[in-house]
Amino acid sequence: MRHVRGFDVARPLSIGMLMLMMLPLVFLPLASIFIFGTSNGLDKFWGALTAPEAVFALELSMATSFWATVFNVLFGLFAAYVLSRYNFWGRNALIVTISLPTAIPTAVAGFALLLLWGPYGTLGRLLAPHGIQVMFTAGAIILANIFVTFPLAFGVIKPVFDTMSRSLEEASATIGATRWQTFWHVTLPSLRGAIVSGALLTFARAVGEFGSTILVSGNLAGRTQTAPLYIFAKFNEGQIEAANAIAIVLALFSFLIFSVLFFARDWLDVD
Amino acid sequence: MKAKQKLLEDQERSRPASNVAQAAARVIGVSKRFGKTSVLENISFDVAEGEALVLLGASGSGKTTILRIIAGLEQPYTGKIVLHGKDVTELPARERGVGVIFQSYALFPKMTVEKNIGYGLRIRKRRRKEIRATVNELLSLVQLEEHRKKYPAQLSGGQQQRVAIARTLAYKPEVLLFDEPFGALDTQTRVHLRREIRALLRTVNVPAIFITHDQEEALELGDRVAVINVGHIEQIGTPYEIYTHPATEYVATFLGAANIMQAIVGKGYLEIGSSRIPIEKQEFPEGECVKIVFRPEDVSLSKGDFQQSGQSRISAAIVDEISFVGAYERVRLRLEQVAAEDCGVREEPFYLTTDTPERETTQQIVATRSKREATATKLKIGERVVVSLTSFTVLPFTEPKDTKSQTQG
Repeated sequence: MRHVRGFDVARPLSIGMLMLMMLPLVFLPLASIFIFGTSNGLDKFWGALTAPEAVFALELSMATSFWATVFNVLFGLFAAYVLSRYNFWGRNALIVTISLPTAIPTAVAGFALLLLWGPYGTLGRLLAPHGIQVMFTAGAIILANIFVTFPLAFGVIKPVFDTMSRSLEEASATIGATRWQTFWHVTLPSLRGAIVSGALLTFARAVGEFGSTILVSGNLAGRTQTAPLYIFAKFNEGQIEAANAIAIVLALFSFLIFSVLFFARDWLDVD
Repeated sequence: MKAKQKLLEDQERSRPASNVAQAAARVIGVSKRFGKTSVLENISFDVAEGEALVLLGASGSGKTTILRIIAGLEQPYTGKIVLHGKDVTELPARERGVGVIFQSYALFPKMTVEKNIGYGLRIRKRRRKEIRATVNELLSLVQLEEHRKKYPAQLSGGQQQRVAIARTLAYKPEVLLFDEPFGALDTQTRVHLRREIRALLRTVNVPAIFITHDQEEALELGDRVAVINVGHIEQIGTPYEIYTHPATEYVATFLGAANIMQAIVGKGYLEIGSSRIPIEKQEFPEGECVKIVFRPEDVSLSKGDFQQSGQSRISAAIVDEISFVGAYERVRLRLEQVAAEDCGVREEPFYLTTDTPERETTQQIVATRSKREATATKLKIGERVVVSLTSFTVLPFTEPKDTKSQTQG
């Protein structure tokens, strides 16, 4: 009988319940960052944000994430090309291996890097006598970022490669293009959307990386302290406001990337 | 053996020997294997300058592989590809200068129509002025000037195909290869486009090779048609030749409906049951079993024993079924007489069969009659008529390569 009157009780009830469940889980935590961060006035907020250490942490996060993204997008492109164009023994094993880093706890990833590159690590031991120290530098943060975001760009690009019609590349070849010209003029334009969204995903994930970074960076304020580490350090020191200011920036930043990914989907896929 | 000889002779005859010197494209003894399965066996043919050759075959016959080998997208196992006198067998696709129109057109989705057409010249690093002039010229040739700024996804199937053709014409290809060019289009567009492409090819005078499984398309598009069956060429010839004088049973049946009957060769005639039909040439020795092949439209039906001159009466028949198929009427008939001595390889003699002997011993044939004929002499089911042939082809009883399994060679 309910549908006769055009009113289904289950509808508002279930929507309401969904919202109610999300309130303490997602909405309230996010809201509290903004409420607390600005509760002492915008002046104080601005001051906390422009503190030299805070600015440095943000810049370091952006820079290390940027380079990790550049590497992983290029690597993802190359890996997707090889793994979707050529069939060889062990191909599937390789695909699984590339995807593995997302499943590994980030602390484990950081620890593994330490064991390899650390002063007493397998490779680090060989480099140390030459005065080369990889760990506890910005380079170490990039390495950690690369490791934990390894499969993200690859995962977005590979399906596009798989579904791409081979006849496009064959057509380009018969028209007279070299492999490189074909890749540049035909293959790459079709991958543009996948590359942009893969890069955004990688970058967003890298900026927020904490577990592996804290192990490999040494967490040295003003030298190897990224934004998430800064939040953690300031919180431990009891400087809630300083931590909160950066937290707001990071939260807004992820909103931004997420909206781009969500709303620019059409633009990313077609012209 | 004889049959094979005849087949080879026929192929030899239908190949224009004078064209060899001026052939734009030559395929010489090409064979291809994928692993251990052989998909092409000793394929040879020439295409003359400005000629349109159609490779006609069922799916899986290997016709696409021939095309891909010519284009350089696939390597032959043996044999050579010669384009305008140059052996290109070892050259990669991009150095052959061949234009391929793919079944899916393969237009670059992120380029506009004019960018697509100019692609071949851009990668050849031609001057911008030259590219613009050529693109404009081709746009007007394929009548797409007002669509120049559009993307392929915004065009109809027919328009996309014209862009694909223009894109290959831009770099003046040695030969145009069309892979099932009308497969993705509806019947009406198909017929229309066929004419358009035919006219277009005449203006640009580029040799073209089409592949298709549609016999009507093959007959209309091709200056010559090559019928391909499981990796070898059954027959090459003009559409008229292969339709009216099929060299093999496969060609006869693949190119539309065909009736096949057994007959025994006599001196100057063929014996079908108790009737004799005269033949002009004594191609087979006396007493040999042969097949005669005739099209439904070669059958003439008359009431009573009246017979027109130039026709060969073969038998009386009973009308089994009449169906109206638009432009003509199709009549299914049961012949009263078949070959007196059944050539005896396939069917068992009638007296051994247990069920309804009439069915087993009488042969069914199909005849078509034009509307005018059908209204002039109305036929009824069960009526007795006299069957005559206006034309027919005689084939050896066994063929070297027959798709149907035979009990004896």
